[in-house]
Amino acid sequence: MTVAIVLLALLGSAWLLAVIEGWMATGRLSPAAPLFRGLAHLGRESIVPRSPDRVFFEAAPVLLLVVAVLGMAVLPLAPDLIIADLGTGALFVNAALAYVLVAVIMAGWGPDGAYGMIGGWRFLGQLIAYSMLIVMPITAVAMRAESLVNTAIVGSQAGLWNIVYQPLGFVLFYIAAMALAFRAPFDLPSAEGELGGGVDAEYTGVRLAVLRLARLTLVVTLASATTVFYLGGWHGPLLPPWAWSLIKTLAVAVSMLLVGHYLPRIREADLMRWCWVLGIPLALLNIIIVGLLILVVP
Amino acid sequence: MSFLELYSLLLALVVGIVATILGLYGFVRVMGSARGEPGKDVPASSGVLSRDPVWGRYHARYYGYALLFLAFDMEMAFMYPWAVVYKEVGLVALYDMGVFLAILFLGLLYGWSQGALRRQ
Amino acid sequence: MTSDHPINTTGSRQRQTRFAALQKWVSRAFARDLSCLIVPGQDVALAHGLNVSATGMRVGASPRDANVLLIVGGLSEKMGEVAAVLYAQMPRPRTIIVLGGTTPSSLPGADVSAGLSQEALADAVGRLKRALAEGAFATSAEDFDASVLHVKIEYVCPMHPEVVEDEPGSCPKCGMDLVAREAGESAPDHDHEHHHDEHQHDHEHQHHGHEHEHEHEHCHDHEDQSHHDHKHHSEHEHSGHDHSGHEHGGHDHGGHDHGASGFMSMIEVTKDLPRSADGLQMDWLEVPFGPVFPGLPGGLKLTLTLDGDGVTEGQATSLVGVTSEGENIEESEEMDAETFIGYLSAAIPLAPVSYRLLVCLAIEQAAGLEDDSANAGARTGALERERIASHLGWLAQLGRQLGFAWLTQRAATLQLQVREANRDSLAALEPALHKLTIRLGRTPLLKSRLKGVGLLPTDSFGLRGPVARAADEGGDAWARLWQRLAEISASLDLIKSGGEPELPVLRDVGDVSGTGEATVDTPRGEARLSLKLERGHVKSYELDTACSQHIGLVPKLVEGQELGDALLAVGSLDLSPWEVTS
Repeated sequence: MTVAIVLLALLGSAWLLAVIEGWMATGRLSPAAPLFRGLAHLGRESIVPRSPDRVFFEAAPVLLLVVAVLGMAVLPLAPDLIIADLGTGALFVNAALAYVLVAVIMAGWGPDGAYGMIGGWRFLGQLIAYSMLIVMPITAVAMRAESLVNTAIVGSQAGLWNIVYQPLGFVLFYIAAMALAFRAPFDLPSAEGELGGGVDAEYTGVRLAVLRLARLTLVVTLASATTVFYLGGWHGPLLPPWAWSLIKTLAVAVSMLLVGHYLPRIREADLMRWCWVLGIPLALLNIIIVGLLILVVP
Repeated sequence: MSFLELYSLLLALVVGIVATILGLYGFVRVMGSARGEPGKDVPASSGVLSRDPVWGRYHARYYGYALLFLAFDMEMAFMYPWAVVYKEVGLVALYDMGVFLAILFLGLLYGWSQGALRRQ
Repeated sequence: MTSDHPINTTGSRQRQTRFAALQKWVSRAFARDLSCLIVPGQDVALAHGLNVSATGMRVGASPRDANVLLIVGGLSEKMGEVAAVLYAQMPRPRTIIVLGGTTPSSLPGADVSAGLSQEALADAVGRLKRALAEGAFATSAEDFDASVLHVKIEYVCPMHPEVVEDEPGSCPKCGMDLVAREAGESAPDHDHEHHHDEHQHDHEHQHHGHEHEHEHEHCHDHEDQSHHDHKHHSEHEHSGHDHSGHEHGGHDHGGHDHGASGFMSMIEVTKDLPRSADGLQMDWLEVPFGPVFPGLPGGLKLTLTLDGDGVTEGQATSLVGVTSEGENIEESEEMDAETFIGYLSAAIPLAPVSYRLLVCLAIEQAAGLEDDSANAGARTGALERERIASHLGWLAQLGRQLGFAWLTQRAATLQLQVREANRDSLAALEPALHKLTIRLGRTPLLKSRLKGVGLLPTDSFGLRGPVARAADEGGDAWARLWQRLAEISASLDLIKSGGEPELPVLRDVGDVSGTGEATVDTPRGEARLSLKLERGHVKSYELDTACSQHIGLVPKLVEGQELGDALLAVGSLDLSPWEVTS
């Protein structure tokens, strides 16, 4: 039962994001457009490129969708609305999202096309940049909650949300989450203007539908993770807990889309340099500050 | 729920999703598979038909960062359990991990000074 | 009414009755979700005043993502072939809309033909939607075939490149076996077979190794077979270097010997390759960023040799260039003044008004007419208006290259408004243009992205227009951006003080003879035209444009740059491939 509700919430949020994405691109709000688009993708031909790495080519969209759903499965919508409340929930989110790299590299390498391959390898560089910035803030969050259980992490924010307690961690995690979902301004692997579509380019038909769905659900999962780790999960007055979770998740996801709309793409060399020279020292500083705060403030 | 039950639930979720997707593929196949025409299966490269394979030794220019990443990744593996027991152990935990982080940070500074942190 | 040709559809309808309802819904979905690929490019569509997204179509980035091939204007022979290749790579159901020209001969008939205007486009899209909703599926369908999709296989002798036969055999001079040059349709199949064998081979070995190793092995065996073909190619290349125009690319390997097929480490595979800047030997790829690439001017074929994601060398050619001179044109082909104006401004869709003005001035000078002070204000107004529109179009393409969605949308909207605005509307648009400049100045990551990109070598010559004017302040993409923005403001001021912009019209010259020369500062630089009139007909002409000079800057500009920086550098030159004279 919980499984059905969570999956439905995930699909619904992905649909809403698609509608908003379409609104930003065309200026028209059309709720039925993503559904028609998905159906049209199903109806089109699914072309397989010549001499692909068949395993990689087929596995990439499927793996991306599985990863996004697995990540969502361990994040709570409400105290009792979580598919699997693992003892190492926060770590599992990170572990599942690590496979996004595998999926993107497979999508790039599989079709044996130049644009995609370059996109895939660029994403590896992006991972090296953002990976620490995802893990270190999660550690700081776990320090405050004294546990890796996601529901306990939300519980620890009952009095004060983590965004106020550790704002530095929030900023770093937010930026790294956008880089993980390879959305603008970090959309190097699927850049339109640089790589003619990149890793997305060689997929058509039903595989493209699965890939697009996977990318949208990945954004929702990351927004949900941001909500759980930093925005106090389901805490909030008046409305039921699941409503607050959904509102916060959608707010974060839409903000990610907006940021991407108004910023140019960042160069990979710049991204890596700023993450390593600026980001990691800041993340370490964040851990130390949080450590001191925990000991000092009762 | 016990540990085993939770993980089997997740596994069942994964299997269910994969099965759904495969079912979707099958359904689409029934509607008609892609027609093989000349030139259609060549990867799109902006109007020029280039059939040459591109798999090869790719020059990844971020190997300097990658080496440092390995060190920090191992550090993070240690930090997860440390974070959970941190408050319990108290100030000593901060000192212990602080020393570890400082050593790694010095490594980062050294790498930076040697030019590892740039596009090669 | 609608097209005469059936829409190219998704194969046969096997279970007609069972899934009829589903096909109805899917056809409606096709009609609702239109995505177009614009040939030659989005810049040309904007220059003609077409607002594609207002009709409900998305603009796609690659043929895989598109289901409408939107052809704007007439296409030359080469661009027709490019369109055929793109069409072949689109998934079915796929459709063609041709605006303002005839369908290229290499494509099947257009599904919808219309004139070159926004209303015609909207009407065409409406017709297309109805056609798709009614019949996207058909019981039978034909393959799309074009000669450009098949590459002829020739057999050459490795030692004597001049020996070329159509059949395999042996060389008459030395007796060596002829080897196939240029992989045609059979060669990839040949590769396929080997791949399948190697795949089986790999899977057996792979059970013990880790994924990394598996990838390696997989690569090696693949490399093996492709080296087999490429070895002969490279030997031929080194001796002859006459590619005669086929898309060869691939690996430039020296002739290394790979003994028995089997495990080859990557180091052996790349043993004799040139070293990159950091001393490593890697595989270099020749990748086309060809005629129809999002962000680059349509019709510009850029071929970059990539080492990882850095460029080692680059080359740019134009597939749509205008002929630079006509000498002693035959009587039958002679154009009279009006026809010549129409010809030149149609051949250069990105700056028609400037070239119209250029021809008018040259002909009037040839006819001996005095400088026209009465119409000068109107002509200047039209020229400046086109300058603003052209720079806005360039900004839209820059936004596409940068992945900066807001800029693309805003610049495109403004360009469409400016294109045919009269003086009052332009004055009303001035605050919007000013705000655009301010927003660009305040965009956080833009400066770091553009500064230092596309630095011109200090010894470059032949620079004109904004590229030349920005060369003093550093000559990089950032400086050029601000130069063009400044020119937009300057043009607005000129229009305010001048007259109402009006399309340049040739004054009555009659049947005169004479020679004339004129220079006009087009949006991309100075263009010079000298022509000779004979009895009112153009006997010979010579055209010198800015872009012909600028295109020669491309190789130096992209060498050693990262891929994104290289593409930005080429984009910042604002090359108009139509003005690159051949």
